[in-house]
Amino acid sequence: MSVPAAEEERPVARDPKYDILFEPIQIGPKTLKNRFYQVPHCIGAGSERPGFQAYHRAVKVEGGWGAVCTEYCSIHPESDDTSRVSARIWDDGDVRNLGAMCDRVHHYGGLAGIELWYGGPHAPCMESRATPRGPSQIPSDFEINIHPRYADKDDILELQKMYVDAALRARDAGFDIVYVYGAHSYLPLQFLSPFYNKRTDEYGGSFENRARFWKETLEKVREAVGDDCAIASRFAVDTLLGPASIEIGEDGVRFVEYVDHLVDLWDLTVGDIAEWGQNAGPSRFFEENHEKPYTGVIKAGDHTDKPVVGVGRITNPDTMVAIIKSGQFDIIGGARPSISDPFLPKKIEEGRPEDIRECIGCNQCISRWEIGGPPMVCTQNATAGEEYRRGWHPENFSKAANADKGVLVIGAGPAGMECAMVLGKRGMSAVHLVEDASEIGGCVNWISKLGHSDGKENLARGTARGLGEWARITNYRQIQLDKLRNVEVHLNSRLSAQDVLEYGAEIVIVATGCHFATDGLNPATHAPIPGADTSLDWQLTPDQVVKGEKPIGQRVLVLENEGYHMGASVAQRLAGEGKQVHLMTQVGDIAGYMEYTLEAPMLHRDLHRLGVGIHTYTMLERIEPGACHAYNIWNEAHKEVFEVDTVVLCTQRLSNHELYHELKSDKAALEREGIEGLYLIGDAAAPRMLVDSIFDGHRLAREIDSPNPAMPLPFIRERRLWGEVANSDFDTQLFGTPDVAPV
Amino acid sequence: MRIVVPVKQVAALDDEFELLDDGAGVDPDFVERDLNEWDTFSLEAALLLSGAAGEGEVVAVSVGDDEASEALLTCLAKGADRAVRIWDDALQDADVLSVARVLAAAVERESPDLVLCGVQSSDAVNGATGVALAAHLGLPHVAVVSGLQYDAGSGTAMVERELEGGLIEVVTIRCPALLTIQTGINEPRYANLRAIKQAREKPMDELALSDLGLDDEAVTATAGARRRRLRPPESGGGAEIIEGSSAEAAARIADIVKERMSG
Amino acid sequence: MSGVLVVAETRRGELRDVSLELIGAARTVKDAAGGRIAVAVVAADAEAHAGALALDGVDEVLTVTSPAPHFEPHVTQRALEALIGSERPSLVLVGHTIDSLGFAPAVAVSAGLGFASDVTALGWDDGPTAARGAYGDKLVAELDFPGRETTLLMVRAGAFEPAEGPGQAPARAVDVELGDAAASEHVEFREAAAGDVDITKADFLLSIGRGIEDKDNIPQFEELAEKLGATLSVSRPLVDAGWMSNARQVGQSGKTVKPKVYLALGISGAVQHLAGMQKADTIIAVNSDPEAPIFSVAHYGVVGDLFEVAEALDSHFD
Repeated sequence: MSVPAAEEERPVARDPKYDILFEPIQIGPKTLKNRFYQVPHCIGAGSERPGFQAYHRAVKVEGGWGAVCTEYCSIHPESDDTSRVSARIWDDGDVRNLGAMCDRVHHYGGLAGIELWYGGPHAPCMESRATPRGPSQIPSDFEINIHPRYADKDDILELQKMYVDAALRARDAGFDIVYVYGAHSYLPLQFLSPFYNKRTDEYGGSFENRARFWKETLEKVREAVGDDCAIASRFAVDTLLGPASIEIGEDGVRFVEYVDHLVDLWDLTVGDIAEWGQNAGPSRFFEENHEKPYTGVIKAGDHTDKPVVGVGRITNPDTMVAIIKSGQFDIIGGARPSISDPFLPKKIEEGRPEDIRECIGCNQCISRWEIGGPPMVCTQNATAGEEYRRGWHPENFSKAANADKGVLVIGAGPAGMECAMVLGKRGMSAVHLVEDASEIGGCVNWISKLGHSDGKENLARGTARGLGEWARITNYRQIQLDKLRNVEVHLNSRLSAQDVLEYGAEIVIVATGCHFATDGLNPATHAPIPGADTSLDWQLTPDQVVKGEKPIGQRVLVLENEGYHMGASVAQRLAGEGKQVHLMTQVGDIAGYMEYTLEAPMLHRDLHRLGVGIHTYTMLERIEPGACHAYNIWNEAHKEVFEVDTVVLCTQRLSNHELYHELKSDKAALEREGIEGLYLIGDAAAPRMLVDSIFDGHRLAREIDSPNPAMPLPFIRERRLWGEVANSDFDTQLFGTPDVAPV
Repeated sequence: MRIVVPVKQVAALDDEFELLDDGAGVDPDFVERDLNEWDTFSLEAALLLSGAAGEGEVVAVSVGDDEASEALLTCLAKGADRAVRIWDDALQDADVLSVARVLAAAVERESPDLVLCGVQSSDAVNGATGVALAAHLGLPHVAVVSGLQYDAGSGTAMVERELEGGLIEVVTIRCPALLTIQTGINEPRYANLRAIKQAREKPMDELALSDLGLDDEAVTATAGARRRRLRPPESGGGAEIIEGSSAEAAARIADIVKERMSG
Repeated sequence: MSGVLVVAETRRGELRDVSLELIGAARTVKDAAGGRIAVAVVAADAEAHAGALALDGVDEVLTVTSPAPHFEPHVTQRALEALIGSERPSLVLVGHTIDSLGFAPAVAVSAGLGFASDVTALGWDDGPTAARGAYGDKLVAELDFPGRETTLLMVRAGAFEPAEGPGQAPARAVDVELGDAAASEHVEFREAAAGDVDITKADFLLSIGRGIEDKDNIPQFEELAEKLGATLSVSRPLVDAGWMSNARQVGQSGKTVKPKVYLALGISGAVQHLAGMQKADTIIAVNSDPEAPIFSVAHYGVVGDLFEVAEALDSHFD
C-alpha cells in the first residue's frame, strides 16, 4: 500500500511568521479554517467525470487548502461551453456527481464552493443546441458568430430563477459556498458593463440599472440558500477595456459598495473573457501578485466590509503573509499554485517551505482545457489530473516491488530529473542520475533564458519579463534530489554504451533529450530545406541563439514550424536587442499554441511594438547566403525574397536516441551485464513539451515495477457503461494499487 | 608505491536537531553521515597518482565506528585498494590530537610513500589532524595543497599552497611526506553501481586499540582539549542596526568589512 | 598564569593583520588573569617587524631570524618549540591561518600541549578556556585543557579586535638552531588563475537583490564589487528575470555560501535565500524595509536607500 514520502517523523515546526496564514476567518455562516483558498478553476472534469472532480479537488484539502471550488458550473443547458468542459448542475444526476466532490472535500475537513455560471453568448451551446440569452444582442467578442437572444423582462426572471434553482441543487449536493459568477465577462457582468449592455429599460443605462440584474440575483440566491451557504461573488473589478467597460476607479469600487451587504465573500479578478490571460497571467508577462494595482484597491480604499480573496499566481509564503498583513486581501486565492502543489499549505505548516513546488506560470494547465480535452495537466506536478484515473498522489509514493534493483538514469533534463526523483521517492535502493553537462536541468537551463524582449511595457498590458520562473522546474527537483539519500547525481559525465553496460545497473533509463533539426527538416514539407545548414556560422538553432555561440547579424529571419513558443521567443529576444526580425510560419498564425496558454495577445503586442515582420502561410524553398527564398503555401508562384544576415531554424526537433538504440541492438550484451530493463523517456523518445517530458519520466517511475513498464498501464476512463453500474466497475480499470486512498 | 589516505565520516546536523543531556552530545537521530568532502579530493589525488604510475596501492584509513565503514566502502568503490577502520569505545569523544595519535599507529604500519589528508573535516573543522599525524610519523608536511606533482617513488614532490587572497605559493617538499589537500584540486570521480557492489569484496581490516599496541590511556594522555559541553550559539538577537545617514552607514560598513577581511 | 606567547605572522615582508588581533586576544586574557605577553615573530626579516608589534600591553617582542627567505612550516615549528621551551608560557596564540595550519598542530604534538583550533572565544578559569564551533558552526563547543602546562590555541581571524596603541616593549633576538630544519623549499609565488566564477569559494560576497530594481543598474554593482574586492552574487529574482546567471545565485536552489563577509543590498531575505547564506561569518544587510526577514539573520543592518549607501561605500575603497 502507499506510504507517506517523508522518511522520519519531523516535529511540526511552523515558523511563527506564517501563523497568520492559518488563522480561521468567517465567511457568512461558514468558517474557513485558514487563508488558503482554491478559487474556481477549470480542470476538464465537470460533472461528467465525478471521480476526477472529487479526487483532484480533495487532494488539495488533504494538502491543507481550506476551501476548494468547482470550475465554472453551468446552471442551465442554455449555458453550455462545449467543446470546453464546464461543470453542470442541471439535474439530480449532477447533484449526485458533484456531491461526490463535496463528500470527499468534507472528509478532509475543507469547504466546497460552486461557481454558478451562465455564459450568455460566450457559450456556444454546441451540445445542448439551446439559445443563450443576453442583455443586448451583440455577438460574443470571444466566440465565433454566437448571437444571444435579447432577454426581455420575463427572460430576466427566468434567468434569475435558473440561478436560484441551481443554488438549491448546490445546497443539496453539499456545497458550502455558492457563487454568483460575474467575472470573465459572463452574464451578470454583461448586464453591469456598458460594453455588453445597450438596454434602455430599467436594466440598462445608469449604474443602478445596469447593476440591477446582478443585485437581484444575489438577493434571490441569498434568500434561497443564504442561511446555509456562504454567498460569494466573483467580480472583475477592472476589465482593462477602459471606460467602455468596468474600471476600478469607477464602477469597480461602486459595484462592490453597492451590493456589499448581499455578499459574504468577494472573489476579485481583472480582465474579461477574450483576454483572461490578464487574470491567469503567464509568468512570461506577469510577476507574482500582478493584480494588486486593481484588486488591491477594494480593501485599501475601504470599499468593503466583507472578506476578500484575490489571486496573482501567488506561490511564496512570505508574499502571502505580506498580502494579509498589508490588508491587500484577507484570503490568499490560488488556482495554478494549488495545481502545482496541492500540499503547499501543509508544507508551510510543517516547516518545510523549501519543499513547495512552485507554479512556473506556463499555463499548460489552461491550454489543455482551452483545447477542450481533459485532463488538465501541470508541468511541475505530473499527478495533476491523474489522482483518480491513475491513482497518483502528489506526495505519496508506494515502495517499488523491485526496489532492490539499481537504476541508472542517463540525462538530467526534465524527464530524467523527474524519473530519478520519483524512483528515489519510491525507495529504489540506488538511483544514479548521470549528466553530461556541469549542471542538471537540461534544456530548461537555456529555455528559461528566453522570453525577454527589450524590457519595455506594452500599452500597460504586461512587459515581457522572461521565462526565468520556468527554472523552478530545475530548482524544485534539485532540492528534492539532494534530500534523497538513495539518489546520487553525477555531473560532467558522458557515458558511452560500454560505460552503460559496465555500470552495474539492472535498470537503465535513457533520457538524453533532443536537438533541433540542422537541415530545415520540417512538419510542412517533411523534407530538408535546400541550403539549410546550422553548422554554418550564419545559421542557428534556437539553443545556439541563447548560448551565444555565434554572432547574429542585424537582419534575421526566424522560421518556426513547431507552433509553440520557440520561434516567437527567439524573435522577441533578437528584436529586443534592436535587430530587424522576420518571423515566418507555414500555418495561419505564429506560435498558435500560445493562444491556448493565453500568452498570444501580449506576445503579439510585443512583436508588433518591436516591429517584427510576421509572415504566415509562408515557407522557405531555399536558403542562400544573404537571401531566403520564400513562397506562399496557397500559391507557390507567389514568392518573396528576404535579404537577411542570419537565419534561425526552429523547424522541428529530433531525438538524441543513438545511445539507446546502440544498447538495444546488442541484447546479448545487455543480458550478460545483467541489464533487465532498458527504457527511453522524454524528448529522447519523442520531442514534446516540457509538461509531457516530465509526465513521461514520472509515469515510468510510478510503473517501474509493473510487468511491462515501457507500456503505460490502463487508466480509468469515466465513461457511460451499459447496464447497471457501480463505482467499483471503474476502479477495476486501474491495474496497480493507487497511492490515493479511497475515503 | 603506497599512498595512505586518512578519511573521516562526518556528521551533518538536520535543520531541526536536539542536544542530549545538557550538552553532552547531539541526538544521533538528527545526524546525517557522509564521507568528508575534503577526503574525496585527497582520495582522488591518490587515485590519480597510482593511475599515472600504473602501479601502487591506495589505502583508506579511518578512525570511526561501524557507520564509518560506509565512508570506507565509498573509498573502496571509487578505487582504493584496501581499507582499515580503527575503533574502540574509548575513542567515542576523542579529540583531534588523540585521533592523530591513533591514526599514526595504523599509518606507520603501512610505510607509505605519501600520506594525503583532507585540509579539514566539515563537521569538526579542526584543520589539524593531518599535520598532527605528520608530527607523530616524523614526516615532512605541507598544509592546504591546491596542486600536486609527484612521480612514484620520487624523493620530492612539487606542490602548490593555496594562500589567503587568491595567492599561490609553489614549494618543493621532501618525500615521503604528508600533504593536506584542499577542495578543488581535482574533480573527484564517482563510483558506478558495479564498483559500489564490488567494494564489499575488497579487503577492509577492523582494528581495535590493542591491535595497534595502544590502550585507553594512550588516548586520554594525548588529548589536546576536553569538551565541557555543547550549546547552541548565542542567538544574534537580530541585527545591530547601524543608525545615521547613508554616508555614516557606509563608513561603518567599510570599517566592518576591512576589519573582517584582514588576516 | 605565567604568560601568553603570541606568534605573529608575516608574508612577503608585510606583517599580517591577524597578528594584531592575536595581541588583542592576548590582552583580554592578561586583563582577566594577569601575566606577561610576549610576541614572537619568525621570519627572515623578523627584526624589521619588532617595532610594529610593540603595542600597548605587550611586554616583550621576540625575534627569531629564519634562514628561509619565506615562511617554512618546519622552521617555524622548530623555532616555536624552542621558544615554548625557553619561555614556558601558559598560553600560545597563533592565527587559524593557512600558514599556521602548517605547523601549529605539529608543535602541539611534539611539545605535548593543550590544543584547539578555529577558536572564537577565550577565557581564563584557573587555566585557559576556549570556545569553538561544532558540527560546522551549528553549535558551540566549550573547551578546557586540564593538566596542560601550556596550551596552544589557533584563533579564528576576525574573532578579536586588533590591539592598538603604542607600547614600550623591548625587542630581543632569540637564537635558535634552524639551519637544517626546513623540509620544503620555496619556488615562487603566483596569482591564482581566474576561472569561472565560483561564489562558494569567495571570502567576500556583495549580493544584490530585487531592490536594485532595474537590470541597467547591475553594472554599477559589478564595479562596486570589484572596488571592494568582493565577488558579486545575487538572489533568485534577478536570475528568474534573466538579469544574471544562476552561477551567481545564492540560495537553496543556487549555491550555499559561507564567506567571511556577506553584504546584501536590496535583498529581502526569502526563506530559500536565507538557507543559502545564513552561516556567513558576518552578514551586513541594507534594505529599505525594516521588516525585511534578512535582518533576522544579519549581524549588522542598515534601513535605508541602498543606492545612497552603495555610492557612499564606493569612496572608502580604492
